Amino acid sequence: MKKLTKKAYLAAAFASSVVLAAAADNHMELTGKAAEYAKMSPEELAEHLIFDENGVKLDEPVQEGGTVLQRQQQDELQQICSGGGRAALTGETTQRVIALSRESTVKPEGGIKLGDWKAGEEVARSGYGFRVGHRVDDHSKRDPGGNCYACHQMAPDEPTYGTLGPSLKNFGKVRGNTEATRNYLYDVIYSPHSYFPCTHMPRFGANGVLTEKQIADVMAYLLDPESPVNQ
Amino acid sequence: MDIYRPLRFVVGVAMGLSVAVGAAADPSMRPEEILQKLIEETGSPYLTQSEQNLMMMADNPAYWTAEDGEALFYEKRGPKNASLESCDFGKGPGVLDGAYVEMPRYFADTNRVMDLESRLVYCMTTIQGFDAKDDAVKKRHGSSSDMMKLQTFIASKSNGYEWNNPLEHPMEIALRDAGEVLFNRRAGPMDFSCSTCHSQTGKRIRASVLPNVNEPTEWTKAISWPAFRVGHDNVRSSQHRVRGCYWQMRQGLSQPGSDAAIAIMSFWTDAARGQPAILPDMKR
Repeated sequence: MKKLTKKAYLAAAFASSVVLAAAADNHMELTGKAAEYAKMSPEELAEHLIFDENGVKLDEPVQEGGTVLQRQQQDELQQICSGGGRAALTGETTQRVIALSRESTVKPEGGIKLGDWKAGEEVARSGYGFRVGHRVDDHSKRDPGGNCYACHQMAPDEPTYGTLGPSLKNFGKVRGNTEATRNYLYDVIYSPHSYFPCTHMPRFGANGVLTEKQIADVMAYLLDPESPVNQ
Repeated sequence: MDIYRPLRFVVGVAMGLSVAVGAAADPSMRPEEILQKLIEETGSPYLTQSEQNLMMMADNPAYWTAEDGEALFYEKRGPKNASLESCDFGKGPGVLDGAYVEMPRYFADTNRVMDLESRLVYCMTTIQGFDAKDDAVKKRHGSSSDMMKLQTFIASKSNGYEWNNPLEHPMEIALRDAGEVLFNRRAGPMDFSCSTCHSQTGKRIRASVLPNVNEPTEWTKAISWPAFRVGHDNVRSSQHRVRGCYWQMRQGLSQPGSDAAIAIMSFWTDAARGQPAILPDMKR
């Protein structure tokens, strides 16, 4: 799509030089920001607009510590996964994303255990947390959630679920509460790129969105035979 | 009457831009008729998600906001006691018909690419002599703000016109391309970018169907701001949408009038090119 647009520009530049020959050249003498921007690649300009041209409010404190400035800076995985997502991955970048994801995954001390599915349901429903700007989430008043329902179907009796991610209805019933499933599920919640490089899903563990306990609780919500997910 | 339409057509053809599907531009159609036509052509789940809104669009409260904006536009205001009739939105001083669908665009007098909001700020401060700190300029949100009234009036004069922001000046092209990068740029604790939610058709967040930036027939409604947001009980602007999305993405507060915000709007307007604007729109 990008290549096509570039072609359209070339065509546009050509057409305008023919059709609007007389009028086209009076603003080609670039000055000020126009001259500055014209020297940059789209990627360089995008960074410049955020960090040097007041694109977002950079000095606002954020819940994880530091300011928006640090939050807007990309880590390597975010950088690789920004250029067209999964469709743009090569063999090499795929391997790199998987490696970065695996390296960042920390298993809980004392092994992976299931928590409380009722607490996990709260985490799955809550979209609270980490928002800054015109309305700031106060983590001292309320814990951040995982907002799983924004993208996934979970309990069959909950009709308002998102579809950006796959349905997790009957997850435990279908997969079985085995050690292999628990290991897999933990990794996917912690950093899903180990299995799905450049997936849209957040890295809830690696990015510090959910605590170890919250992850155990969400896992229980998905795997516990008593959980509404498996009814 | 729109004397620019034949010219736009010629330029459009010369630019090699063609549109396979979608409603042809017709400024005489009402917003709900434009939407209905797009629905008939596409069956898009995003466009069809609110039957109530479609039924209420004829009585869209945004019409009152636009009417207030019309009065404000022609009223002599500010320290310089001037109306906005000499403000050039890109098609000549005071020419409003079809001006908004061709924004953001480059303005030689500021050497900047400007969206409607930043152009209004410029005209209100230079022509009318308002200070940027005056409420008339500073208050950007809510149906009762001068800014929303004026934006809704001016944008409504582009109802039914095809989105067609110029990509001729190097700065227009540079910002449109940087806007695409920003749209796809993942950052923050959730790793989100705009394209996380807006690169597929028919997907939902909870019960809300999301518009796809790659489907111009859906995307035209997505970018048809100002729109009355039923859930907010207020008319909202493009910048309000950008701010809200950055908030949901857990990224920093998007700055109104910044080149980053204008870059995103340049990209998103280009993505709806050739499709008719629905103005004012009504959204959930």
